[in-house]
Amino acid sequence: MTTLEHKTSTRPVPNPKKSLITKLNMGTGLIVGIAFAFGSYYWLKSGQDMSRPNNVNKVLIVTMLMWSLGFMIGIGAFIGPFRWLIGKDLTPEEELYLAGDGQGIKRYFKYCTDHKVVGIQYLVGVMTLLGVGGTMAMMIRTNLAMPGSHLVTPTVYNSLVGLHGITMIIAMIIVATGPFGNYIMPIMIGARDMAFPRLNALSWWVLFTAIPVLCSAWFLGGIPTGWVAYAPLSVQAGPGMNAFLCTIIIFAVSTAVAGMNITATVVAMRAKGMSWNRVPLFVVGATISVALAIPAFPTFMLSMIQTGLDRTIGTSFYDANMGGSGWLYAHLFWIMGHPEVYVILIPGVAILMEVLPVFVRMPLFSHGAAIAGFAGIAGLSAFVWAHHMYMSGWLPMFNGPFMVTTEMISIPTGLIFLVMLGTLWHGRPWMKLPMLSVYAFLWNMLIGGITGIYLSDVPADNYLHGSMYVTAHFHYTLMGSALTGAVAGLAYWFPKMTGRMLNERAGYVSFWLVQVGFQILFLGMFVAGAEGQPRRVADYAHMYAHADLISTIGAYMVGTGFIVLLWAVVHSWRHGKIAPMNPWGSKTLEWTVPYPVPLTNFPDDAMPVVTSDFYGYGKAVK
Amino acid sequence: MSSHDHNDEESWRTPGERFTNFLNRKNPHYEHDQKDVGIAFALGIFYTLVFVALGAWAYPKWMPTVMSTDMKGIERLMVVFTYISAPVCGVVLGVATYTFMNRHRGDTPPPDGPMIRTHRLTVGLWTGISTVLAVLAILYGLIELNSANDAAVADSKNALVVNVTGSQWVWSFNYPAQGITTHELMLPINQPVQFNVVSTDVNHNFWPVQLGVKTDANRLAVTHLDTTPTKLGKIDVKCAELCGLYHAYMETNGEIMTSADFNNWVTAQGGHTA
Repeated sequence: MTTLEHKTSTRPVPNPKKSLITKLNMGTGLIVGIAFAFGSYYWLKSGQDMSRPNNVNKVLIVTMLMWSLGFMIGIGAFIGPFRWLIGKDLTPEEELYLAGDGQGIKRYFKYCTDHKVVGIQYLVGVMTLLGVGGTMAMMIRTNLAMPGSHLVTPTVYNSLVGLHGITMIIAMIIVATGPFGNYIMPIMIGARDMAFPRLNALSWWVLFTAIPVLCSAWFLGGIPTGWVAYAPLSVQAGPGMNAFLCTIIIFAVSTAVAGMNITATVVAMRAKGMSWNRVPLFVVGATISVALAIPAFPTFMLSMIQTGLDRTIGTSFYDANMGGSGWLYAHLFWIMGHPEVYVILIPGVAILMEVLPVFVRMPLFSHGAAIAGFAGIAGLSAFVWAHHMYMSGWLPMFNGPFMVTTEMISIPTGLIFLVMLGTLWHGRPWMKLPMLSVYAFLWNMLIGGITGIYLSDVPADNYLHGSMYVTAHFHYTLMGSALTGAVAGLAYWFPKMTGRMLNERAGYVSFWLVQVGFQILFLGMFVAGAEGQPRRVADYAHMYAHADLISTIGAYMVGTGFIVLLWAVVHSWRHGKIAPMNPWGSKTLEWTVPYPVPLTNFPDDAMPVVTSDFYGYGKAVK
Repeated sequence: MSSHDHNDEESWRTPGERFTNFLNRKNPHYEHDQKDVGIAFALGIFYTLVFVALGAWAYPKWMPTVMSTDMKGIERLMVVFTYISAPVCGVVLGVATYTFMNRHRGDTPPPDGPMIRTHRLTVGLWTGISTVLAVLAILYGLIELNSANDAAVADSKNALVVNVTGSQWVWSFNYPAQGITTHELMLPINQPVQFNVVSTDVNHNFWPVQLGVKTDANRLAVTHLDTTPTKLGKIDVKCAELCGLYHAYMETNGEIMTSADFNNWVTAQGGHTA
C-alpha cells in the first residue's frame, strides 16, 4: 500500500491561481444539475395542465435533459469552449491541473482529462452497472423459479426485464472500450493521451449523468416495453418511458464523443513505426467497434427523439391511427441494434486475441485472418438488421435476402475460431485466468454461434422467434463471449491499472462458478425455448417448470461467482500482491511503463519507436 | 495426456508437433505420437456424435407435437442444422480439448513455442469449408422457405379464413364464412387455413405454438399466415411480443378437430356451415 502511494506525489500540485476550474468537481456538478432540474421542473409545471400525459412527458423530458446539462456545466465541462468563445484558452497551468496531476484520489471526482483517470472511472462505472443489472437478473430468475410464484407484480416484472436489458446493454457497450480502451489503449499505441482529452472526460461524465436518469425510471412507474421499446407500446407507456428515452439520448451523446475520440486517437496518435499491420489487435478491435457505433447510436437517438415527440407534442411517427408506422421504429431500432451486438462482441474477442499469444508464447496464428474476421463481421453487420423483423410482417419477400446476409456472418466468425485454435495448436497454454477465458469463449461462442444459425433461418425462426431460445442465444454471445473476454481483460490488465495482482484463487473460484452456472442457466433456457416458452413473461405454464427451475439454480451460481469476483477486485485493489512491471512477459507497449503510469505515459526523451508487430513470441522455426 | 511429463522440456511436444510427427512415419516419435493423435481424433468424433445425438434426440423431444405441415419442416430443419454443425463442433471442441490437455501450470510462463505465423493451406481449407457449410445452410433454408410459400399459394383457394385480432390482452378469432367470433381457435384437420392478423392497439405476436407459424399483429396493417393442420389435438395460442402489463397471460387454447366435429362446433356457436 505505502510504496505505491508515495510515487504519485513526486511533483508539486499545479496551482492555477484562483482559476474557476480548481473549485469545480462532482459536488458542484450535482448542485448545479439538481438546481437546473428543479428549476425547469417547477418553471414548466406552472401553467401546464398536468393531468394530461403529454404535458407530464414534456416536463419530465426537459427536466431530465436539463439535469444532464446542469451537471456538465457544474463540473466545468464547458469552461474550455467558453474560453474559446471569448478568444482565449486554458493556461498551461490550468491544463496540467485539469489532467489531475498530483491530486490523488480527488481527481477521480473531477472533470479530469487524464485518460488513465477516465479509464478507472469507466471501470468503476461499468462494475456498478453490471452489479445493478445483475441484481435485476437475479430478481427475474427468482420470480421465474416456479410457475405462479407472483413474487413481483407484472408491472414490476416488465420493468425488471426492460431495465435489466438496457442497463446490461449500456454496461456491455462500454465494458471493454471504456476501462481498457481509455486506460490501456493510448499507452498500447505509444501515445501520451487521447487525441481529445477534454472530450474524453466529457464522454465519461455525460454517461454518468445518464445513470440517475435511468434509475429514475423505477420511481416513475417503470417501463413496460423491454429494452427494445417498441412503438406503439412505448408511446402508450407511462412516465417511466421518458426516463428510458432520455437515458438513450444522453448515452448516444457519450458514445458518439467517445467513439470519435478513440477513432481519432488510433488514426493520428500511433507511435513512430506503428504501421497499420503492427497495431495490436485489441486496438484494432476497439476501433472497429467504435467505428460501428458511430453511425449506429445516432439512429437509436433519433428513434428515441421521435418517440419523445410522439409522447409530447402529438406527432405520429409511430402511431398507425394517424398515419405512422411501428415498423419505422423497428427499423430504426434494429439498424442500431444489430451492429450494436458486434460493438459489444468485437472488443471482447479482441482482448482474448491480445492475451492468447502472451499466454501461449507463440505468434498469433494468421493475423490476417483475425483482421478479416473482424472486418467481415463489422461489414456484414450493417446489412442484417431485418432478421429481427422476419415475423413482423413488414415485407416477407425480404426475409430471404436478410437470411443470406445473416448466415454469411458465420464465415468471418469461423475465422476467429481458426485464429484462436491455430494459436493454441502449436503451443502450451499457460493456465492463468485470461487463458481459461479463451477456452470458455470457444465453448460459449460455439453454442451462441450455432444457435444463431437456427435463428437466422426464416422457417426455424417461425417457431423460435420471441421464445426463451432467443434469450439464451444472445446471452451466450453477449455474456458468455463478450463479458468473458472483458473479465479476461480485467485479469490481464489489473496489474497495470492498479499496480497489484488480482487474487488468483478467488479469480479461479469465480471463473468456475460463473461458467458452470452459466451453462446450467442458459442450456436450461434453450430447453424452455424449444418447448415453446415465450420470452419476457412474468409467469408460464407448468410444462416449463423443470427447465425454468434449472435455469434459476444456474443463475444463483452465476450471481455467487460474480460476487466472488467483485470481492477479488476490491480486496486485490487494496491489499493485493504488488505487481512487477510486466508480470505476463508481454511485448506490447503498456508493459514498458511503470506503475503508477506517469502523467504523459512515456518520458519525453524516450518515446517508443515500433520496429515490428507485438506478436513475435517463440523460437524461430528451423 | 498422462504419458507426457510436462516438467520435462525435452520430451514435451505441442499438439501441432505430434501431429506433424504422425504425418511423417520416419520420425522417431512416430509410434508415441500416434497414440496422442488417436486421442485427438477420438475427441473430435466423440463431440461430433454428441451433437448428432442432440439433434436426433433432443429437438424432437423438446419441441411440441408436430401438428402442421410447417411445424414438420421446422423440426426437420432443426435436426438437419444440428447434423451440419456437429462436425464443426467436433473440430472446434476436439482441438480445444486436445490443447487444453497440453496446458502449462505454475507462476512462470511456459517455454517459447515455435514462431509459426500462419499456414496458408489451413487458412484456405478452413475458409473454404466454412463457406461451403454456410452456403449449404443458406440453400437449405431458402428451399424450405420457398416450399412453404409455394404451399401457401397453392392452398389459398380453398383455405378456411380466420381473422385474428389481438387486443391487450385477448385473442379473438373471427370466421367470416361461418359468421362467428370466438376466443378459442378451433380448426378442422387437413384443411388449409389462412390467418389474417391485426391488432387493435400495440404490437402482439400471434403464435399457435404447435402449428409452427407466427406473425406480428400490427395496428391497421393486416399480416397473413398460411398453414395446414395435420394432427388432431389441443393447441396453445400465445403472444410472442411483449405487449404490456398482462403479456404473459395473453394466451388461449384451441383444438384441431375432424371436419364433422368442426361443423358441429360452428353450428353450436350459432354459425353456418358451408
